[in-house]
Amino acid sequence: MEPFHAEPNYIIEEAPVFSSGHNACPGCGEALAVRYVLNSMGPKTVAVIPPSCIAIISGPQPYSSMRIPVYQTTLEASAASAAGIRRALVRQGKDDVNVLVIAGDGGTYDIGFQALSGAAERNEDMVYVCLDNEGYMNTGAQKSSSTPYLAYTTSTPGGKPNDKKDIAEIMAAHRVPYVATATVGYPEDLARKVAKAKEMRGLRFIVVLTPCLDGWGVPDDGAVRVSRLAVQTGFFPLYEVEEGERYAINVGPTPGWPVERYLETQRRYRHLTADQVAAIQAHVDHKWSLLHARAKVECVPMFQGAEI
Amino acid sequence: MSRPPNEIPTIWTTGFTDVFNTGTWRAATPVYAWRPSPCLVDCPIDNAIPRWIKYISEGDYQQAWLELVETNPFPAVTGRVCHHPCEGHCNREVLEAVVGINGLEHFLGDHALDHGWALPEAAEPVGKRVAVVGGGPAGLSCAYHLRRLGYQVTIFEARERLGGLLRHGIPEYRLAAQVADREIQRVVDLGVEVRTSTSVGDSQAFAQLREEYDAVFVAVGAQQAKRLPHLDAGAGAGRVLDGLDYLRRCIEGATRGLGERMTVIGGGSAAVDVARTARRLGHRVSMVALETRAVMPAQREEVEEALEEGVALFDGAMVTRVEATAGGLRLDCVKVQLDPTAPAGELRPLPVDGGGFVLEADVIVTAIGQDPNLTAFGGDIRVDAGVAAAAPDTAATTAAGVFAGGDAAGTSRFVSVAIGDGRRAAYGIAAYLGHPDAEVVVRHTLEQAVNRNEVNVFYFDFAERNEKAKAPVAERLTGFAEVNRVFTPEQAAAEAARCLTCGTCIECDNCFVFCPDMAVKKDDSKSDSPEGRYVILDQYCKGCGLCVAECPRGAVHLEQVTQ
Repeated sequence: MEPFHAEPNYIIEEAPVFSSGHNACPGCGEALAVRYVLNSMGPKTVAVIPPSCIAIISGPQPYSSMRIPVYQTTLEASAASAAGIRRALVRQGKDDVNVLVIAGDGGTYDIGFQALSGAAERNEDMVYVCLDNEGYMNTGAQKSSSTPYLAYTTSTPGGKPNDKKDIAEIMAAHRVPYVATATVGYPEDLARKVAKAKEMRGLRFIVVLTPCLDGWGVPDDGAVRVSRLAVQTGFFPLYEVEEGERYAINVGPTPGWPVERYLETQRRYRHLTADQVAAIQAHVDHKWSLLHARAKVECVPMFQGAEI
Repeated sequence: MSRPPNEIPTIWTTGFTDVFNTGTWRAATPVYAWRPSPCLVDCPIDNAIPRWIKYISEGDYQQAWLELVETNPFPAVTGRVCHHPCEGHCNREVLEAVVGINGLEHFLGDHALDHGWALPEAAEPVGKRVAVVGGGPAGLSCAYHLRRLGYQVTIFEARERLGGLLRHGIPEYRLAAQVADREIQRVVDLGVEVRTSTSVGDSQAFAQLREEYDAVFVAVGAQQAKRLPHLDAGAGAGRVLDGLDYLRRCIEGATRGLGERMTVIGGGSAAVDVARTARRLGHRVSMVALETRAVMPAQREEVEEALEEGVALFDGAMVTRVEATAGGLRLDCVKVQLDPTAPAGELRPLPVDGGGFVLEADVIVTAIGQDPNLTAFGGDIRVDAGVAAAAPDTAATTAAGVFAGGDAAGTSRFVSVAIGDGRRAAYGIAAYLGHPDAEVVVRHTLEQAVNRNEVNVFYFDFAERNEKAKAPVAERLTGFAEVNRVFTPEQAAAEAARCLTCGTCIECDNCFVFCPDMAVKKDDSKSDSPEGRYVILDQYCKGCGLCVAECPRGAVHLEQVTQ
């Protein structure tokens, strides 16, 4: 397979779905992701949102920052609700409406996982976007099964002892039509993946790394930088999987950039010892070797910009 | 407040939140503002360098050149001989190496000469006359800017031809005379009256000038070589020359009989010029400089080129005594260290114990600096430490209507400083004469400039710096053809693309793209302004600063909300 790159020259086309005046924190990475997810999906969309920061951002009732119908469902039922909405639309003969789930990592990796796995197994027709801030940040930064190894949360004060679930691989293993990872530091890549998913059918899954400023300990202007460092240091690879087996790596790590450059930008990793940093580095390197093996290509890094 | 039990809302969601004023959360506001780039601040001629480089990268060479000559009418000259301080603080260094600004200027200057482009026309006459004393770079630059402000200008030049140092002080292998001549002619073509072979030699002649003209700019340069008396004492007559003397003899072809072995004393550009000229005329050349190679005032490149051409450099050393011997001259030398406690600008050499050595030579050429001869003007204007005292912003001297610049009013001895002085003097003169639109040139500081913490180099790919090609050493020593070759158009395009355009918005859209609140709006009516076309929507901006952090070039900054 040919090496594949993100397209820095992809022209983002935004429909005005997401509205200013929403309730996200200043500089919120998740709000930025919501902007590109919603505005790429366009106005012919029904959204399903479980309890999460996204629900806060979409409110407050009776106001809504999203100029589309939004169904706020229960934390465990996003995929099931979306499947139901899709079937109702089919029954009404409306085949030009997108059904979109925007859930957090708690509602995807943990509490909503059973419904999601079932919907994936049935290949229900929806775009499922997980905005992953690696914890229950909305309720005060408790750990989720997305919280990375050794990261501090209020419920793992010494650092989380277990590794983060690899949700992209889990979903790819369901052999759904499309799985992608994305992050807000690469908005063209994110918008392109949403637009691509929109044109497909079946269950399309995108996990978007969205830095939580408060939960991660990042300054107000740092979400994009931290997001980019996650990719540049190899901590969070950007790639796509079609039909569970056709892999394409979009952006590879910048050669010589240690994961420490990512970790040191966040307060949640402040307690790490040198040995722990080395352990995380080894872990990242190992995951890359697995990804390379699955993708059957060596990744050619594209963005080589320095950071100061 | 509870709802009456049977009332069901007709609309569940309104589909908007843009009635809320999230802008009230803000503690700081992003502000779009043009800011000086470090290259502009470091440029003695205040050149808006990122502007013309951007036009080069867009392929619009003529517009680029017009931007460049806005402050500097001699880009082909400075593209060859400028000491390019503009490259000193270039933010591109964060990535791999500074931008080759001097090479781009050289390219643009030559391109304009090849295409015969004319300078912007002189303004409508304002009915006042200015005398410029000295037709070197300072005087010519002043004349250019004065013509563009509508003044009548007469240049008084003591020699037969205009150019001053450009013609008589810089060897052809660095600056071909025809290049300087053509750029000078372009200025003259703006309607400058030129009186060559006309020296303002005494205070009476100067008084007459002040009488006849509304203002006078004194830019007579520095013509008197400094001497080292202790060398003359021990050597035979005619065995110790000064640099200007030697270069003049070269032009006249009168260098025969000086002997084969030459020692040049000095560490500046003039000394290197003498040494390299002498190599081309077949001398064996050694060079003794007080400063070590790292801090010699000569440009790094010229010292490298001199070494390539076989000049033997004894840096951090001085000649203490000269003795005539049967075979020539014996020079007693000693290694020195410069006293770090000496006041700035003063060299205080301290001999190093056991650092003595001996050189042999047939002729010694000193090039240790020159002083201006201000006897004709000294009665009217104050002279400090040998140079005319002039205000840094207007070049005004202590005498009303008299301005001074270039080497006559400073000690830095750089062509570009002289050109900058001429420009500031022109605007100073215009302000003095009450020109309606002329404002005194305001110089920016490095503190105001975009620094390397304010650029975001993620948005630029690595790209190697382009260097000017050089003639091979063997070829150089056979004559006086120029050593440095101009960029090819491909090199110029590649080098221009490396510029970060610090401080000037080029509408890359990053601030717009990265706003989580969609509080950045594009206003097309503002397009092409140095601040760009973006507007912050006060009602929504929460002041996070993402637009500032992700601006690649420092064209937007945060200001604290003080109310």
